[in-house]
Amino acid sequence: MTVPTLTGDLRTGVLPEDAVIVRARGVTKRFGGLVAVNSVDFDIPRGAIVSLIGPNGAGKTTFFNMITGAYTPTDGEISFDGKALITKSRNRVRSKKPHEVTALGIGRTFQNIRLFGTMSTLDNVRVGLHVHMRSHWWDAVLRTPGMRAEEQASIDRGMELLELVGLETRADVWARNLPYGDQRRLEIARALATKPQLLLLDEPTAGMNSSETAEMTSFIRRLREELQLTVLLIEHDMRVVMGISDRVTVLDYGEVIAEGTPADVRANPRVIEAYLGRGAAAGA
Amino acid sequence: MTAPTASTPQTKPIKPGVIGWLGSLADAAMAAPGAYRQALRRHRRRTIILTVLLILAVIYPVINREFFQAYNRSSSFPLPFPEDAVVTFMMIFCIMAIGLNIVAGFAGLLDLGYVAFYALGAYTAAFLASPHFGSVSLVLFSNVPPGFPGIHLPFWMLVPLGFAVAATFGVLLGAPTLRLRGDYLAIVTLGFGEIVPVVFKNLSAVNLDFGPIHLVNANLTGGNLGINPIDPPRFFGISFGSSSGIAAVYLGMILLVGAIVIARNLERSRMGRAWMAIREDEIAAEMMGVNLVRTKLLAFGLGASFAGVAGVMQSSYQGVTTSDFFMFSTSILILIMIILGGIGNIWGVIVGALTLTFLDKTFLPYLGQRFQAISPDLPNPSQFNFLIFGILLVVMMRFRPEGFIPSRQRAAELRHAPAGQAIGSAAVMGDAALASEELADTLAAEQVVEVETEAAVAADEAAEAEPPKDTP
Repeated sequence: MTVPTLTGDLRTGVLPEDAVIVRARGVTKRFGGLVAVNSVDFDIPRGAIVSLIGPNGAGKTTFFNMITGAYTPTDGEISFDGKALITKSRNRVRSKKPHEVTALGIGRTFQNIRLFGTMSTLDNVRVGLHVHMRSHWWDAVLRTPGMRAEEQASIDRGMELLELVGLETRADVWARNLPYGDQRRLEIARALATKPQLLLLDEPTAGMNSSETAEMTSFIRRLREELQLTVLLIEHDMRVVMGISDRVTVLDYGEVIAEGTPADVRANPRVIEAYLGRGAAAGA
Repeated sequence: MTAPTASTPQTKPIKPGVIGWLGSLADAAMAAPGAYRQALRRHRRRTIILTVLLILAVIYPVINREFFQAYNRSSSFPLPFPEDAVVTFMMIFCIMAIGLNIVAGFAGLLDLGYVAFYALGAYTAAFLASPHFGSVSLVLFSNVPPGFPGIHLPFWMLVPLGFAVAATFGVLLGAPTLRLRGDYLAIVTLGFGEIVPVVFKNLSAVNLDFGPIHLVNANLTGGNLGINPIDPPRFFGISFGSSSGIAAVYLGMILLVGAIVIARNLERSRMGRAWMAIREDEIAAEMMGVNLVRTKLLAFGLGASFAGVAGVMQSSYQGVTTSDFFMFSTSILILIMIILGGIGNIWGVIVGALTLTFLDKTFLPYLGQRFQAISPDLPNPSQFNFLIFGILLVVMMRFRPEGFIPSRQRAAELRHAPAGQAIGSAAVMGDAALASEELADTLAAEQVVEVETEAAVAADEAAEAEPPKDTP
């Protein structure tokens, strides 16, 4: 896969179809009377780092959950790498199941860390490898050579991924006993184990101090460069967002209110209004 | 954090198929002595203890018969040594405990109706190795004379059949419960556990006219009387039935070793990790690519299959099976076994099963006899077995909630879980403690009902004995 050049206008609807990895059109999610996401159009350019920002309750995580299949949209279309994730028959909207979406190549982390607490660090990563392993239960019962080779390969690959995030010395430690920053990195390693093309990071620097945040920022940038990943980021820390994003999309009350380069968005009066209120926007 | 590296998993070339597997088995067998010497060097004490325990387990049935039972027969003060039949049942209950541990221990799905699969296995053997369906005669690889009424399959065929039948029903039960968790799952499985024995009890006079099926007063399951005689297991002309003494114990031991190996291999596989991931965090597991439907159904199916094999062993060994053997109390008994022993740990649940079977079938009756010998007015502890197990469970929850031999994981959860965070096993244990209390109530209520029913029957009979006055 070649990484396309990421110069020029990266806004939704501008790039040709093959340069876009996720394409969402008219995506709406209603929870009863509440419209959490309202008719959002959204493209993620291949190889880009795109940030989704917005005040609390703007619908960022809901949008995330619709891409990963955790929620089925009320309406709209989402395709990933040219494959439709949402299908409509008559009036019924169906979404691919989360494990199917994972198998297609979307990995994610969680806002509040969700590791498998009493499994070892290595086994957490190996659960991420599960989706690409092929041995059946009868292979496990008989311990066939193929199954054992696959297990060994999963250990080797798991250790590589732990090395990548700097946790190789803690392979036998339970995930719940790791310090907070390590748990965040383990979540990324586990997501990488699913061999994603697109990595969804839900507030990866939440609760980190400034040096940890800087380290995470450069790590995300390196992931994109060295593993040719596309990254969609939900983030509240504006230094992170402005520092690494190729494009920023701002949601407010479930609608896209601004989209563009970090500099564009920063200067957009509607964004300032959404974050700081009308008076501040008028003063700016 | 270091730089990303390319993935180059090192694997040696593998011969495909059965030959490769046999070859690797041979490799493992060749490597075994070396591996044992290495284990002896590394964990000297542990290896020696395990070896001694293993040898003791293998020779125990002989010692039990030759010395312990002999002592009991000749002594005026007998000690609680288990009979051969009890030791056989220890093997059967160990197999079931290992199976339930897959569902409740590995995957964290509380199953209160596990006895249903035991019943399905037992009736599978009863149908396929007894004169019950006397209008046909099908004798296949069996020691029974040709032309003998009924279907007669050999034991080695019944074991995989019991496995398959129970696994199929495990999947069938699992399917509607997939969306349920915790308490709700427990209630549905509880219902299934009640339905299956009742179905077997009531299909004794079936009238059915449905499409091509015409049944008139068909006795499918033997009703209250159950089915007997069931062919004993037989290999090379030797019977392994209830009259065979320790031969049956060794047959049970072989099945148990098979169960241990299968459960261990599953635990250390992709499926075992997926089960544990579901137990820890179902949503995260699904997001990491674990197919919840398939993984849960597999846990239900494989867990149930162990009970199916145990059921085949039970009915073949005892030569009789009736629906009374498969009460709700048996489900709870097995659940108590795995909780006391250490849920999640195969060795723990085996210890739990051995202990509880011993208490239930040997020690409490023995105490009862001793008490009776002192005074006939003293209570018989074996009538209060569930009260005693309930107290035992409560005491264990207070002082050692992780069980006799806990899994490392469960111990950590229960000892160090933050307050207010009810995690899988803790919830399971709480439910079980609750269930055993409820069971005590239910049993008490049932006894009352039985007494009332008897009274009603007696009244009816009295009424019938008196001829009605206005009959022509």
